[in-house]
Amino acid sequence: MKQPKKVLACVDQSPYADYVADYSAWVAQKFNLPLELLHIIDRHQETATSDDHSGAIGFDAQENLLNRLAEEEGERTRATREQGRIFLNDLKKRCEHHQGLSVDVRQRYGQLLETLDEQQQDVALYVLGRRGKSADQSQRDLGRHVESISRKIRRPILTVANTFAEPKNVLVAYDGKRMTRKCVSLLAGNAALTDLPVHVVMSGKQNGEADKHLEWASSTLAKSGFEVETAYLPGDPEQQIPQAIADREIDMLVMGAYSRSPLKSLFLGSKTNELLRASKVPTVTVHL
Amino acid sequence: MRITIHSARWAVSPWQSGAPFYWSFMNKLRQEWFSNIRSDLLAGLVVALALIPEAIAFSIIAGVDPRVGLYASFCIAVVIAFAGGRPGMISAATGAMALLMVTLVKEHGLEYLFAATILTGILQIIAGWIRLGELMRFVSRSVVTGFVNALAILIFMAQLPELIDVPYAVYVMAAAGLGIIYGLPFITRVVPSPLVAIVLLTAVSIYFGIDVRTVGDMGDLPSTLPVFLIPDIPLNLETLEIIFPYAVTLMVVGLLESLMTATIVDDLTDTTSNKSRECMGQGVANIASGFLGGMAGCAMIGQSVINVKSGGRGRLSTLSAGIFLLLLLLFFSDWVRQIPMAALVAVMIMVSIGTFNWDSIRSLRTHPPSSSVVMVVTVAVTVSTHDLAQGVLSGVLLSGFFFAQKVGRILVIRSQSENEGRVRTYTVLGQVFFASADRFAQSFDFKEVIDTVRIDVSRAHFWDITAVSALDKVVLKFRREGADVEVIGLNEASATMVDRFGLHDKDGAEDLLLPQ
Repeated sequence: MKQPKKVLACVDQSPYADYVADYSAWVAQKFNLPLELLHIIDRHQETATSDDHSGAIGFDAQENLLNRLAEEEGERTRATREQGRIFLNDLKKRCEHHQGLSVDVRQRYGQLLETLDEQQQDVALYVLGRRGKSADQSQRDLGRHVESISRKIRRPILTVANTFAEPKNVLVAYDGKRMTRKCVSLLAGNAALTDLPVHVVMSGKQNGEADKHLEWASSTLAKSGFEVETAYLPGDPEQQIPQAIADREIDMLVMGAYSRSPLKSLFLGSKTNELLRASKVPTVTVHL
Repeated sequence: MRITIHSARWAVSPWQSGAPFYWSFMNKLRQEWFSNIRSDLLAGLVVALALIPEAIAFSIIAGVDPRVGLYASFCIAVVIAFAGGRPGMISAATGAMALLMVTLVKEHGLEYLFAATILTGILQIIAGWIRLGELMRFVSRSVVTGFVNALAILIFMAQLPELIDVPYAVYVMAAAGLGIIYGLPFITRVVPSPLVAIVLLTAVSIYFGIDVRTVGDMGDLPSTLPVFLIPDIPLNLETLEIIFPYAVTLMVVGLLESLMTATIVDDLTDTTSNKSRECMGQGVANIASGFLGGMAGCAMIGQSVINVKSGGRGRLSTLSAGIFLLLLLLFFSDWVRQIPMAALVAVMIMVSIGTFNWDSIRSLRTHPPSSSVVMVVTVAVTVSTHDLAQGVLSGVLLSGFFFAQKVGRILVIRSQSENEGRVRTYTVLGQVFFASADRFAQSFDFKEVIDTVRIDVSRAHFWDITAVSALDKVVLKFRREGADVEVIGLNEASATMVDRFGLHDKDGAEDLLLPQ
């Protein structure tokens, strides 16, 4: 991994933005990293609405249309730019309550996914809201961007819900496979987090390897000074993990993400998505 | 430890590289197809309604049944929606292409047209493959303007037969049609005004039983979906000899108009397009059209503007335009048959007005004369030959000529006598090539009585053989007068002659362009 540089909080003008800001400020302070609040203005140039169904072209049709479109877009952009700036500055103030945190704001044109992807080099951790601006209109309980971002971005992503509570403990959803082992190693590598007790929970079909895997996880974490608790809960992980979160009053979930290919998850479903939907706590997904 | 070793091996799982590609593909797919569904479908419908009269009119221009142009429009729109490089651009049977086929159809028949269409497609794919589209940069703005103006004039002229020697009612209907098409958008923009004009005029002519020519008189309309057919022609060299010249011109004009239109749509939507893919897409679309009983087509400037204006942005708009076109025809062909030609003429006159670049007339006086001449020549050649390829070629050649002439003027030769009148030094600054070589040679005073002539060309560019031989001649002439000649800096000056130069920029080269 290249030198991680900042915590990038991706905000849009939705109620989630406040909590994204809260969590990212908390994380940034914990790791002592600079925080950047990023607001992306997607001009949606691939979409358009028009009431003009006249189908007529007259004198200078092309020039008139070009001028009209340029003017409309310019106006729209100016409005969103200013609105976004005010919005970002309010969020910045909210974050600056945290002591010694450096907060920067930035607005960029472009599409969400591409813009986040371009930044990867300079980012240690992304923070997203689990839903966004369109949350009120759509019935989804998980924003449509979360999966595509998580699949594309090779950095840990913290997805937050619309409450903030300072995390006091962490649960790692563990299956002994590559992605979740990475979660464990990643966690073990962060001395800043050792004050959070870690629960490593494994679930799924009974297999003989489970103990060995859990033992590896627990020893890896303990070596780095974490307080570890392990458990094996037989049964369906999509039910067992949320249950464990509720039972143990967990504040934050860490899991490997999207180890199934998009094609496979089309048929089999994605465990990651189901867990993201089921768990109400902020979740760090790791897809390295 | 065991686990770390394993993870190193698994780190190169195929999904690591495959998934992001797949994901960006899905993203692109959604962006180009499904991000603007409602507007795209509506725009597609508006475009389809506007396409029907145009496709019929262009078939008539080409001298084939309306069926041929309508099938072509359907095939091309549908295929280009998938294969094209410019989402939101409308391609179908066009006037520019139709004009080129007239003789082929007249002399050899429809089957040869299908074959030529397929060959055009193949040539376009090759052109896209070898990135012929990049040659578009030699087509100057004036030529492009000339192209659209010529196209507008030709479309207008093609309507004249319908307006000459016809009953009085036709003029009334055409005028009424024009009035509706032009005026209705000022009142409402909810319904396409050309559609209203056509429906009203058709209704009036049926109701009053006015005896005017209708679309049905012009030939067959589609009654079924197009079927696959192989052109019924002998597959031999003779056939190729007949269709090849047509296919080449069709390829050139098709690509020209398509790339021009793509640029227009790029500008309108402030997005970019893949020009090579567009060339190949046009080829695939034409091949499909040829095999399904359609004529060759290309992108349409007017329709693409209408599409963007109506909110069409994605590939879905193009696809739906094609599908709506065919559906409308299959359901309403009995009505389409009865559309009076006068209504069609009105629509096409409006199309030609919309295509024409009126600003180019207003700016004739303000633009430099050379670019106005290029524009006018492009128009004149096109209108007189009915061949846009020839028009564009003349325009391009003429603009090259004017450019050479202008650059040739950037040549300054100064002289100074030295050493008490024994030596004269000529300093050459600027561009020496075929267009300026004569002036270069004339700038020396051969009658001067002098011992030594020094010619400093280190701050000049010698672009071609003509320039070097002009210098040779000058040297020879001075020698004949008994003077010694020294040429300074010839190596630097002639470095530009190497065909693959590029970075031979010399100190001071830029101030040659400033007044000295």
